[in-house]
Amino acid sequence: MLGQQLINGLMLGASYSLVAIGYTLIFGVLRLLHFAHGEVFMVGAFVGLHIVLWFAFANIYVAIAGAMVITALVGWIVARFAVQPVDRNYPLAPLISTIGVTIVLQNLAINIFGGEQVAFPETIEQVLFRIGPLTISSVQIFILVIALLSMAALWLFIDRTRMGRAIRATSESHETAALLGVDVNRVVVVTFIVASALAGVAGVLDGVKNSAITPHMGLEVAVKALVVMLLGGLGNVPGAMVGGILLGMVEILTASYLGTSVRDFFTFLILILLLLYRPTGLFGTRTIESG
Amino acid sequence: MIDEYIRSVLIFAGINVIAAFSFYVPFKTGQISLGQAGFMGVGAYAAGIVTAKLGLPFPLGLLAGGVAAGLIGVGVGFPALRIRGIYLLLLTLGFAEIVQVIILTWDYTGGAQGFQNIPFLENSLVWIYAIVAILIVFFARLERSSLGRAMDSIHEDETAAEVMGIDVVRIKLFAFGLGAFIAGLAGALFAHYSTYVDSVTFNILVGVEILMFVLVGGGFSYWGPLFGAMFLSLLPEFLRALRDPMELIPVSWTEDAPWNYLYDSVYEFLDFENEKRLIVYGLVLIVMMVLRPQGLITRNTVRPFQFVQRRMDNA
Repeated sequence: MLGQQLINGLMLGASYSLVAIGYTLIFGVLRLLHFAHGEVFMVGAFVGLHIVLWFAFANIYVAIAGAMVITALVGWIVARFAVQPVDRNYPLAPLISTIGVTIVLQNLAINIFGGEQVAFPETIEQVLFRIGPLTISSVQIFILVIALLSMAALWLFIDRTRMGRAIRATSESHETAALLGVDVNRVVVVTFIVASALAGVAGVLDGVKNSAITPHMGLEVAVKALVVMLLGGLGNVPGAMVGGILLGMVEILTASYLGTSVRDFFTFLILILLLLYRPTGLFGTRTIESG
Repeated sequence: MIDEYIRSVLIFAGINVIAAFSFYVPFKTGQISLGQAGFMGVGAYAAGIVTAKLGLPFPLGLLAGGVAAGLIGVGVGFPALRIRGIYLLLLTLGFAEIVQVIILTWDYTGGAQGFQNIPFLENSLVWIYAIVAILIVFFARLERSSLGRAMDSIHEDETAAEVMGIDVVRIKLFAFGLGAFIAGLAGALFAHYSTYVDSVTFNILVGVEILMFVLVGGGFSYWGPLFGAMFLSLLPEFLRALRDPMELIPVSWTEDAPWNYLYDSVYEFLDFENEKRLIVYGLVLIVMMVLRPQGLITRNTVRPFQFVQRRMDNA
């Protein structure tokens, strides 16, 4: 029973991680709470769904790739038109403009796809594997593998590439990075693209997992991913990975032993306790003081 | 009498103004709260309990709503003293979420079914704009008082304010509590106009919207939240009203002309249902932040209109 719950928690946590990584990347580079990030996740889910529905040849891998391309494009548009043109002397202004993006994306989705819940077709054959007392389905394995692969790819990108190094440098200090020849504006755009593509993957995975998506799915995940970002420490990418899985497990455990309404209460209690006693996150990242 | 529809638009605009003021007070000391919707929820439920459950008159309910929210506000404001910026934003967001969960699970007030049968307040419009007027007078006086200046100085630089001998802790706590009190009033008024509230009524998006009212209007003076909330609440109605002058343009004389198509699509668009209209609203927000990140109203905007008062001060 407990082992089974932990597997379910891992599933839930993996998508929190993917969304939270995007938040934390953007926060690291810009000190900005990208409010529309949850809506990018939602866009990913819908793009994935429609690729599967419209194109006969498309399997789930094509859907994920397509969702990544479109959400990356959304990320580019957001960075280019809603974040970069805003004067950085007003730290709250980009927050408001990303709230604007949230409103636009959500209502575009409602307009195009309707406000109702839509079924996500079964794209992976359901096979159940039994390992001792545990049951794990092919869908769960698929979700986990894709999530872990995306995180590993991101890790390689941040850790091994020139651009990844530039992103890390920019998170440390814009001025120093710029002095050392980093094109900070380009770093910001790339960060948005990468973060959004990850959210897109998470969106499709969420559709596969829950077999239904709605234009309103972004908000809840966005809020949970904020908790995860804090759990891992603001701007800390591995922290967000671990934090997501941790929160997923905590949520599944509290939901199954104490009930669903207690789950959310617990999640936000964790948020508040962290803020008061450990604002640096579980792994002790430096605190960042700005809006 | 004014049209029923216009009346409801004005009522919601007025409630938005009060909610925006509730954000503005703590903001004046540099505290940013995403949780004002949570305080509205506390106010709505406390007021609803007093009027619907205990059968007491509305003024008592209004007071109860404000006081309950204000007390909880001081309770939240206390830990909030330790943190700022994005951390405070997250703390208040967490608070609002917890309020939502409690509302959802509290059976006494209907739980997930929502709080029903709250008595309808006949002259909501008068009540709401009376409170808006009182708040405007209050802010006009606050802005010129030593307390108001102390708040501004905390916003500018907390350490410097402390060195100057300002009791930062007390003023910040007062501001947070007062903001929550005002939000409680807004919630109570809302509950007694709509007669029904539930956990979704005061969700995170409401808190976000309140923050938006102030930052779009401008956080430098109380005219900002007043104007921002009015502007953003009435903008959709203005857009719809644009159709009337359009109808005067004669277009029927060239049946298939391309501009007819253009005319039709613009006409259609201005009549849009909620979602399409909200897209424009979102775009307006983005454009506004690009063109005017400091908000619509700044100190310089207000200054020319204050000459009368200034001359009175000098005299």
